[in-house]
Amino acid sequence: MTTHTATASQTAIPSAKTGTWWFLASEIPVFGGLIASYVVLRLGGGGWAEAVSHVNFSLGLVNTFLLLTSSMTIVMAFAAVQDNNPQRTGAFLGLTVLLGLGFLVIKAIEYSTEITHGFVPSSGIFWSFYYGMTGLHALHVLAGISVNLVLWVTALRGSLAQHSYRVEAAGLYWHFVDIIWIFLFPLLYLT
Amino acid sequence: MGNAYTRHYLTIWIWLLLLVLVSVTATSILPKLQALFLIFSVAIIKALLVARNYMHLKHERVIIYAIALVPLMFVIMLCFALFPDFVFHR
Repeated sequence: MTTHTATASQTAIPSAKTGTWWFLASEIPVFGGLIASYVVLRLGGGGWAEAVSHVNFSLGLVNTFLLLTSSMTIVMAFAAVQDNNPQRTGAFLGLTVLLGLGFLVIKAIEYSTEITHGFVPSSGIFWSFYYGMTGLHALHVLAGISVNLVLWVTALRGSLAQHSYRVEAAGLYWHFVDIIWIFLFPLLYLT
Repeated sequence: MGNAYTRHYLTIWIWLLLLVLVSVTATSILPKLQALFLIFSVAIIKALLVARNYMHLKHERVIIYAIALVPLMFVIMLCFALFPDFVFHR
């Protein structure tokens, strides 16, 4: 216990933050491997542009707006919790949850439209990557929403102020999910 | 503290949206190769804006950078290792 305390004070980086960064570091090869494989395979083969033309660019753009905005709202929630303002913290966490849910609803609409038109994961290599990467990303969004929802309820109860590091850790994860989308959007919708 | 941070975060958000607009516009007005270069440069800039400002990386210690950058280096190495196989030896 004493050793642990001494180590923690020497590093002076909160354990929650360090742990979250380690977790995010383990996520980088997961998405990075998929993205690297997609880029390399796409550079090495033709015919991808035709498949890309079938994805719904407008919905992808709206989802980009939602995720970028949610990144701003969750960092606002962190600033609010540090200012010891529970109402503002709750409001921004609630907004983040709503924006995340909006993202998932739009993604579900996209999937249903694409499946209706016959574009399923087995329709070709582009669609395998498309469903694999966006599906994995959507699962991460869902996990982030769950965490943010718990924090939101905690904020509404007024007991989040003494646990501001939780908002920071949740925020780090949420921003990471946003960064992944920043790369998925041009890879799958713009090129 | 609150107002200064709010303004800063809002400014970054506006920059992010403007950069999305740049990417979208590039696809319709630039030749394909130039558009690709611009789109992915803009994506890297957006990711850096989020990481440095929203994830507060610009205030972090070297150890946090190391935790984040080491796996990223491996991914880039993977990309370069696979690249010749797929592109030149099909």
